[in-house]
Amino acid sequence: MLTLHEVHAGYGRTTILHGIGITVGAGEVVTIVGANGAGKTTTLRTIAGLVRPTAGRITFEGEDIGRLPPHEVVARGITLIPEGRQLFPFMTVRDNLRMGAYTPHARDRMARTMDEVLDLFPRVREKLEQHAGSLSGGEQQMVAIARGLMSRPKLLMFDEPSLGLAPIIVKQVFDVVERIVATGVTVLIVEQNVFRTLSIADRGYVLENGEIVMTDTGATLLRDDHVRRAYLGI
Amino acid sequence: METFVQLVINGLMLGGLFAIISVGLTLIFGIIRLVNFAHGELLMVGMYLTWLGTVKLGLHPYVLAPPLVLVLFVIGVLIQRFILQPLLDARDAHVQIFATVGLSTALINLALLVFGADLYATPASGVRESITLGPFRILIGQLVMFVCGIVVVAALHLFMERTYLGRAIRATAQHRAAAQLMGVDVKRIYIVTFGIGAACVGLAAALVAPIYPASPTVGTYFVLTAFVVVVLGGMGSLHGAFIGALLIGLVDSLSAFYIAPDLKEVVIFALFILILLFRPTGLFGLGRGSE
Amino acid sequence: MSDRALPTRRAQHRPSPGMLASLALLPLLFVVPLLIGDDFVFHVFITICLYGALATAWNIVGGFAGQLSLGHAIFYGIGAYTAGLLVPLGISPWLGMLGGAALSAMVGVAIGLPCFRLRGPFFALATIAFLQVIRLLALHFTGLTGGAVGLMVPLQTGWEWMIFFERWPSLLIAFGLLALTLGVTAWLRHARFGYYLVATCEREPAAAAAGVDTLRVRLQAVALSAALTSMVGTFHGMYLTFIEPEAMFSLAFSVQIAMFALIGGIGTVMGPLIGTLLVVPLTELARGWLGASALGLHGFVYGTVLVLIVLFVPDGLVGLFRRAPAAGGAEERGETAGSAAPASVPAAPREAGRRRIGEPILVAEHLHKHFGGLAVTQDVSLTLRQGEVLGIIGPNGAGKTTLFNQLSGFLAPASGTVRVRVEGEGFIRPATPHAFARAGVGRTFQIVQPFAAMTVLENIMIGAFHNHPGRAAAREKALETAHAMGLWAQQDMEARSLTIGGLKRLEIARVMAMEPRILLLDEVMAGLNQTDVQRAIRLVEAIRDSGVSVIAIEHVMQAIMALSDRVVVLNSGRVIAEGRPQEVVRDPVVIEAYLGEDFVHAHSA
Repeated sequence: MLTLHEVHAGYGRTTILHGIGITVGAGEVVTIVGANGAGKTTTLRTIAGLVRPTAGRITFEGEDIGRLPPHEVVARGITLIPEGRQLFPFMTVRDNLRMGAYTPHARDRMARTMDEVLDLFPRVREKLEQHAGSLSGGEQQMVAIARGLMSRPKLLMFDEPSLGLAPIIVKQVFDVVERIVATGVTVLIVEQNVFRTLSIADRGYVLENGEIVMTDTGATLLRDDHVRRAYLGI
Repeated sequence: METFVQLVINGLMLGGLFAIISVGLTLIFGIIRLVNFAHGELLMVGMYLTWLGTVKLGLHPYVLAPPLVLVLFVIGVLIQRFILQPLLDARDAHVQIFATVGLSTALINLALLVFGADLYATPASGVRESITLGPFRILIGQLVMFVCGIVVVAALHLFMERTYLGRAIRATAQHRAAAQLMGVDVKRIYIVTFGIGAACVGLAAALVAPIYPASPTVGTYFVLTAFVVVVLGGMGSLHGAFIGALLIGLVDSLSAFYIAPDLKEVVIFALFILILLFRPTGLFGLGRGSE
Repeated sequence: MSDRALPTRRAQHRPSPGMLASLALLPLLFVVPLLIGDDFVFHVFITICLYGALATAWNIVGGFAGQLSLGHAIFYGIGAYTAGLLVPLGISPWLGMLGGAALSAMVGVAIGLPCFRLRGPFFALATIAFLQVIRLLALHFTGLTGGAVGLMVPLQTGWEWMIFFERWPSLLIAFGLLALTLGVTAWLRHARFGYYLVATCEREPAAAAAGVDTLRVRLQAVALSAALTSMVGTFHGMYLTFIEPEAMFSLAFSVQIAMFALIGGIGTVMGPLIGTLLVVPLTELARGWLGASALGLHGFVYGTVLVLIVLFVPDGLVGLFRRAPAAGGAEERGETAGSAAPASVPAAPREAGRRRIGEPILVAEHLHKHFGGLAVTQDVSLTLRQGEVLGIIGPNGAGKTTLFNQLSGFLAPASGTVRVRVEGEGFIRPATPHAFARAGVGRTFQIVQPFAAMTVLENIMIGAFHNHPGRAAAREKALETAHAMGLWAQQDMEARSLTIGGLKRLEIARVMAMEPRILLLDEVMAGLNQTDVQRAIRLVEAIRDSGVSVIAIEHVMQAIMALSDRVVVLNSGRVIAEGRPQEVVRDPVVIEAYLGEDFVHAHSA
């Protein structure tokens, strides 16, 4: 479904990704594991079109999307739920969700999607008329995920969904992610909580210094010595 | 007391004009994060166009308002697309300011080249007549400006709250990257926003030309006041700009009478400096005055 | 060693071709009119010299300090009026020039003091507002300024009165003023002051952390710029023999001065003059084609050229000449150069024996801080002892960086104190970042803060200047530090082209060049691979062994366990545990809040 081939990317003259290759099959849950700054976020931002690859190819459903601007990428069914929520703080939760369905494709079915999404997030339904900026961190993360679903994505990318949240909220976030996975959406997830993520992932990639150094099934990586030492602190 | 009330009326009417000019400026300010130093020159261009249309075509300036709105919208779109957009990712955030400063200087002096330094008064029937309410008088042209100011601000407000495009504009202002992730074409949003901001000035030009004569530097006078309004109201805030405009209109009218006519601007600019220093977010700002 | 030093020496004396060319051509500004002898030519060249001097003086604030002033006519007008008002009293304009310069410097500081916290466009708007206020007041107080009518300067000729029958003395003075401003700028570019100014402009927090009193540096810049502008204003007033508020405090004129500098290239020595040299003759030529009376032609050409320059030559005309060396620097780069340089650590510990942990050197007591309603630091106390490494861990959002900002003066705690022990002075309570730096506290930033447009070596020099005010000595210290930090091969690269690992090392190098006694490291291991983490651990060990006390925020537990003598655990702004690393990781509270059950399972597995 999604293929990255020899992708190089960075900011200005600083190269972060040095030729990485990743594939995500339809219906799969794939995770990228790596230290802070290894290039995980940059990978997702490059797929989303926010960072332009300097070399390499990104294809989605057979089409080259490596040079598309972000709004074109979204229109093709790839949605990124960004690190740090990035809600529109002075808009109501309802308007935030409406913005999630901005693409023409999603806009047509917005009312139905909204109902489906709110069924998944009963707590969000209670807060619809509040300003997003007034919510707690955990609530904001839920709204961010709900907003991402509003676009009816084929591929949903999570960037650090549990970042900066209290442990108890982290558990709720993971429960939601698992429920979304269960609906059959294809998921690419980057997350500092390596143990939990590898447990739900079909496959994982280990990213170090902008290069993929290892890839295997989630379960195998969990047992791998290098992964355990470097990312689980064992 | 009667004098005071008359001064308040005059101030509010003047505020209506400031409001039309300022909403465009505050939109561009709040959404593109651009201080458009050429905003006043767009007004100046609009005023000369109004004069031309009135004198050469024999049309009433108010009739010229709709085509002027359109023309200025197109000019705004072109400026954003071909001058400012290429600078969007520039290394130095100041270059967009330099560009608008350059544009402003070029336009002022172009007007000086074409029209000279003379004042061009636009003739318009009825505009300078006044209606009386008991002891008070209101110039019809000023009443029109005041009403139009309210209508423009209300219309823009509805547009921003109720339409997809308006929501996308607000979303872009609040979080540019997140808006992109929602599928918003940010560059298009910026172009539309600048166009709308310029279009407001087109309307203002048609309304103000019959009252104030056009001159190359007329824009500087109005835009400096508009900057005060925008900063006072809080950058990017539509209703802030409206209330700010009325307040500055009042200050203008009252200080001219009670202090000295030639010192009213000193009062306004002193106020401006105080706001910048002590409440840079303005009355209704979102907290981006001095990051 | 000598082959290594060679490229740096070349880099040090690297005047751009543009600069060399303009230096060679500079005397022509004086000689050409003398040879031609035509009055109009004299007038044009005097104008060029004066505008060039004004643009050069503006550039000190607008370019080097990065504050876009559109109100510089204030100082120009003050210079003209001070002298103009003193002449009728029998006081020579030369004295008036000095008085005006002093007055302008004071006015500049008075305006800058409140306004320098405003950024970009807001600063520009504030300067416009000040200019308008002064212009309107000048128009209002007709008794003093002559109001709209203006003032005629009494026609007393001779050197004493700065007014001449011949043209050449005026040209000489104008040329002298230009040479003076250029000389001041050239000095500034290569002195510590200039480095500090550029650093402050580019990243104020990083400059403050390197011990720069950023406000003071900016105020000095504005005082200097205002004084020079004022001196030109004095002479121009005498030259025109007529001064009026509309011309002296003109917004259009302020903008025009800035435009010359912008067209030529701001932040360079010759740029403003080059800009002036391009557009002033251009407008004179255009005037010839279109007829002498073409009103507004000047401004139209200036404005149009500025827009074109901004669009197509964003660095100004000077940028045209400077592309080449930058590209050459980039070529030197490459992975081999980066990894081949050994991360050799600073000199080995003098005594190889066990380290002695000494007396408290930094003490924080009962710190409280909140943003809005959110309490981010709640009653945090900690003590760093001489020679110790104190680790700080905790989940994201626990308030670690906020705590660091209070320990280095970037944030004032709402209550509580931070005390630092200084030799011979006992404990002091610094309040600002540079005061902390002076007390020997150095810090790094979690998000690296390189001065991107400077070379790696210049970045390190900003730190080195702290203890070595002279340029040569600072350079020496920076070279030594670059070598120790494994940045030798990259010393001439622009900082922006370093890899993440390189930027992290640069961040440490800059602070180490300050020779701090206390080092605050904010997640320097983040984003490094295993090899680099090992290397970084050895580096911190060596720093510790050289006698520096360290506080390190870190997520890489491996590094925390290896380096820390003690660990403080923060959660939701509170200290939830403190002790030796092995004890802390077994603390149930810490496991629940930060490490997680997974960590424990993994360890017992």
